[in-house]
Amino acid sequence: MEINNYFPLTSLSALELNSLIPLMVMAFGAIFSLLVGTDKNRGHDWAFAMSFGTLVLTLLHSVFNFANHDVTLLGGTLVFNSFTKSISIMAYLFALIAVVLTYGQDRKEGLLSEIYALILFSCSGMVLMLSTTHLLFMFIALEIMSLAIYVMVAMRRTSQYSAEAGMKYFILGGLASALMLYGSGLIFGSTGSFELTSIAHHLTSNTNISPLYFVGLALLMVSLLFKVGAAPFHGWVADVYQGAPTNVTGYMGAAVKFTAFLAFARISQSTIFVKNVEGLVWFQHFIWIVAAVSMIYGNFVAIAQTELKRMLAFSTIAHTGYLLLGLYTMGIGTQSLETMLLYLFFYALSNLGAFAVISLFENQNQKDLTLDQIAGQGIKHPVLGISLTIFLFSMAGIPLTSGFIGKYGLFSAAVAAGEIPLVVIAVLTSVVSVYYYLRVLVYLFMKEADGKPATFHKLKGASITALVSALMTLQFGLFPKMMIQFVKMITQ
Amino acid sequence: MQTTSTLLSWLIFSPLIFAVIIPFLKTTSSCTLRWFALVQTIVNAVIASVIYSQFDGAISEAQLTHFLFWLPDWGINYHVALDGISLPLVMLTAYVSPLAFLGTWPSKETVTKYEKAFLVLLFCLQTGMYGTFLSADMFLFYFFWEVVLIPMFFLIGIWGGKERIYATVKFFIYTMVGSLLMLVAIFWMLKTNYEVTGIASASMADLAKLQFGFDSSSLSAVFSSPQTWLFLAFALAFVIKVPMFPFHTWLPDAHVQAPTIGSVFLAAVLLKMGTYGLMRIALPFFPEAAFYFANVFKVLGVVGIIYGAFCALAQTDFKKLVAYSSVSHMGYIVLGLFSFQKVAIAGSLYQMINHGISAGGLFMIVGFLYERLHTRNLEEFGGLSKTVPLMAISFMILTLSSVALPGSNGFVGEFPILLGAFQTSPWLVLFAGTGVIFGAVYALKAFQMVMLGPSTRNDLDHLHDLNKKEIIAMIALAVFVFGIGFFPKTFFGKSDASLETYATKLIEKVGSNGNQ
Repeated sequence: MEINNYFPLTSLSALELNSLIPLMVMAFGAIFSLLVGTDKNRGHDWAFAMSFGTLVLTLLHSVFNFANHDVTLLGGTLVFNSFTKSISIMAYLFALIAVVLTYGQDRKEGLLSEIYALILFSCSGMVLMLSTTHLLFMFIALEIMSLAIYVMVAMRRTSQYSAEAGMKYFILGGLASALMLYGSGLIFGSTGSFELTSIAHHLTSNTNISPLYFVGLALLMVSLLFKVGAAPFHGWVADVYQGAPTNVTGYMGAAVKFTAFLAFARISQSTIFVKNVEGLVWFQHFIWIVAAVSMIYGNFVAIAQTELKRMLAFSTIAHTGYLLLGLYTMGIGTQSLETMLLYLFFYALSNLGAFAVISLFENQNQKDLTLDQIAGQGIKHPVLGISLTIFLFSMAGIPLTSGFIGKYGLFSAAVAAGEIPLVVIAVLTSVVSVYYYLRVLVYLFMKEADGKPATFHKLKGASITALVSALMTLQFGLFPKMMIQFVKMITQ
Repeated sequence: MQTTSTLLSWLIFSPLIFAVIIPFLKTTSSCTLRWFALVQTIVNAVIASVIYSQFDGAISEAQLTHFLFWLPDWGINYHVALDGISLPLVMLTAYVSPLAFLGTWPSKETVTKYEKAFLVLLFCLQTGMYGTFLSADMFLFYFFWEVVLIPMFFLIGIWGGKERIYATVKFFIYTMVGSLLMLVAIFWMLKTNYEVTGIASASMADLAKLQFGFDSSSLSAVFSSPQTWLFLAFALAFVIKVPMFPFHTWLPDAHVQAPTIGSVFLAAVLLKMGTYGLMRIALPFFPEAAFYFANVFKVLGVVGIIYGAFCALAQTDFKKLVAYSSVSHMGYIVLGLFSFQKVAIAGSLYQMINHGISAGGLFMIVGFLYERLHTRNLEEFGGLSKTVPLMAISFMILTLSSVALPGSNGFVGEFPILLGAFQTSPWLVLFAGTGVIFGAVYALKAFQMVMLGPSTRNDLDHLHDLNKKEIIAMIALAVFVFGIGFFPKTFFGKSDASLETYATKLIEKVGSNGNQ
């Protein structure tokens, strides 16, 4: 399958063009948002309005054209079927929430108005990454997404931590990207294709697989494990989560993780979890081990943290572990993609909400919110306190919240696939996680404020984000039927 | 056969409706809000009474079921039902709730902080408790089981004593360990059910039909049988909640730190969730494994009886004494359930109710004293009976119930347990019987130190006797103590058919396969 045959695009049918409209709207919206953001006085407002409008338009377009026929472009490189369309809608939704979350926060932290355009750019990268089955294309999409994120992380220009975070993320991320490219090249060399389906086909039809394939696969896997922040490739997570502006952290934890994980799931499905191929079983074991290590490491290290963002950073490593458990069982079982998607979606929502609440209490240029600072704040601001409680319970997987449904689905699928030891590790480390999530609640509600309590900043965007996410978390926790049926429909 | 009705759902969710109203009430006065809470609990008690009158005691199957689709794709549905085993526990919850509010009515000078939140949490707690006892779907059961934790966590953590944070986190984590392993076991059951029937279902009735392999030929065979692990996972979750020795250490902490009304609910109802779980799930679903491990549980139950009694004897903190007495009394229930005898199983169910009444009442007494004298140290009381005769009388009645004096409700529970257990393991019952004696020792010691003897205080002029609300609560408890003591049939009659079928089935199952 030579890619040259498909360039330049000769002609597009109306349907094909229609499927590309969201991406075009995003790209143009981002550019316009850059332009209107230059206004001296009201640049932030204009840029916000522009990006908000763009995302709403995109969402509406995608929803109304959801029922269209599947479209494949570039000989199967870009796929717009009901599955990729729905996960793109979810990515748009996260970007929309992130835009709302950023409004207000941008002035407080002195962020440039370009941040809105960067959110749109990164989101278009995500959508491309979610829609493609081509390794090179995926690399390009990953770079579009990552470059925007690197800038966003370093956007707090007067904070040294932000600069540190941006630098760290950029260098390590660059390394990971390079590994991915190299790995894809080796895989191409040994299988003759960048296309995931043909790679899988090559693996099953040939008995002699070149050892280069395994080297390439190892590189590819490491780069993706880096992106999703699995231990032991998690070195960047904590510092980047702390240094980045809090709204960016929320967006990263939600959307980047969502995208990278689904991409990883897709890649691993046709490169690692291919039945009856000798040698791949070691890679599967490796994922098992990484899952276990991430759960154990993330949860235990999170206990020792006294700063909120850092604690959530380590907890996100643990959540990666749970998701890898889902990935592993997807390889050996059947229905796991559905539950993984549910988990990712629910986790992203609570994550955005939790960081929205944190951003309301942070001062400008503050590195992180300490537990002491939030002592008694839940009593002073009951609505926010209850919202944060909902998010943390959701992350801990306690009933009433969507996180419980997510965990229930993920773990039950794993047990159904017969992977009980890993599930036992997962639930036991969940207990550990309950401890540190509870500790936040203990500070929020049960301790008196002493020393310097955090000051509450009235930010409309973040408050709305927190409330909407809290309501959605509860809604999906109590009545998840629609969501489950929807996810079931699109994954079939 | 099955009657459908929405009554049970009204019972479960009516506290929640009241909880939603509370934030919109204009008043912040403690007293007015408490009246509102009292109305809520009385409404619930009325609903429960209607349910009781509609329940047909001659039928052993689930009645008054209410079924709604919830997550049909995963085989999970909202399904509540009532049978003779859950009936007494539901009635206990419904009647203890108003008494708990009456018995812990705050006096004018004590200001409870964040009163509205306090009541909202107490209402949610009730919803969780009713839900746990009424669920006929495994997922729903787990859902409510966990939901109960959340209000209790905040009740102890915000309104508790000095060490409240330690106590509440310990309580939460302890319960969580057990329940998450139970969750894995539930997954396993659902998976097996799906493999066998091809239909995803979490309904308890469907899951009860499953047969899990059990091979007791050798120790290694036992531990490679799926039933063993399923049973142990469920049993762990439940015995932590009971709490059975050696998993009891969270209980004294939680009780001592909890606000009085929290303690009352904890002792009267929450602990019963553990024994109810054993009775509802662990024993009938995994009978062979339960029978195989019965001796372990019986021994631990008896150790708990004696150990709890000795610990109670050594306490100077009145509340801790009552807390350890709970450990001791709950040991009887474990002993009774695992003796696999009809009488003992029935006795265990009675004992659940009786302990709810006596322990709940004793915690109220502790609350009365603390409210008036601001101490729980037994050595700082003494000779109070002259100043507060009514309190002394109620305390005495509850003490008698606690030590299982014939004629009180405690006897109705403990005697059948010991009688039934004696037929399978007489030696154990010999030890358990000493527990009754030690129980009398610490309970009477407590009474003596508080009410009798010379007075050590000189501020007793301020000490006033029970007020009207407290008297009502105590009279109601006394009615139950002697009512059940003299006419157990009147109170538990409607459970007979269910208990008979339950025990027959259980013994049949282990009788054919079990060899101890």
